[in-house]
Amino acid sequence: MPGVREQGLNRVITVHIRAFARFRELFGDRFDLKVESPATVRSVMHEIGRRNVQGISELLDHEGNVKKSVIIMVNRERISGETRDDHPVSGEDEVALYPPVAGG
Amino acid sequence: MIRITRDDFDISALLEEARGDENGAIVSFVGIVRNDGIERMEVEAFEEVAEQELFRIRQEAIEKFGVTSVDIIHRVGSLAVGDRIVLIIVGASHRKAAFLGCEYIIDRIKESVPIWKKEYTAGDSRWVPGEHE
Repeated sequence: MPGVREQGLNRVITVHIRAFARFRELFGDRFDLKVESPATVRSVMHEIGRRNVQGISELLDHEGNVKKSVIIMVNRERISGETRDDHPVSGEDEVALYPPVAGG
Repeated sequence: MIRITRDDFDISALLEEARGDENGAIVSFVGIVRNDGIERMEVEAFEEVAEQELFRIRQEAIEKFGVTSVDIIHRVGSLAVGDRIVLIIVGASHRKAAFLGCEYIIDRIKESVPIWKKEYTAGDSRWVPGEHE
């Protein structure tokens, strides 16, 4: 399966992250991330948060849920609604995160 | 024309292009970098998605208001006070549809198109908060 490899007992997948605006400054604009499978939006955000402990409070609330102010796209489709944190993420998916928009 | 670009645009030329037999009214909106004590502004976009979203908003305006032509140009990169940020040109048979369509488009841009602005003052910088935070 593309993007999947064995790491000890865990299956690890690679996802492609893109971050914008203040999240780009905190975590980097474009990078690959290895996460355990099965992965979700929540587990990907937790893994991104590990890259910058100061930035983790921008992504997650005190209970470890992804903050509503973090906008998430998986493969260019916006993920929203009550089940957003549990949305599945597969190997080679592109996951984009950004704050509320301010153009115009 | 729908475009995300680093380049400035020629409003007169674009207004002229929008003039057509079926347009009885053309309304334009130009967003400009305001002097709020800033030196410059950096505009950033998730360009592939932003352009897709602008196409979607154009289609919405056509369906909701019956406008006949829509041009949207949004700039990215470093902009100085007084520089143009965004241009919207809406053509319609009658003025009301053109005004409503133009207002709808700028409101939708501020709501959903992945574009952000960072303002730079002499010794500081800050991200402009979204209107829908």
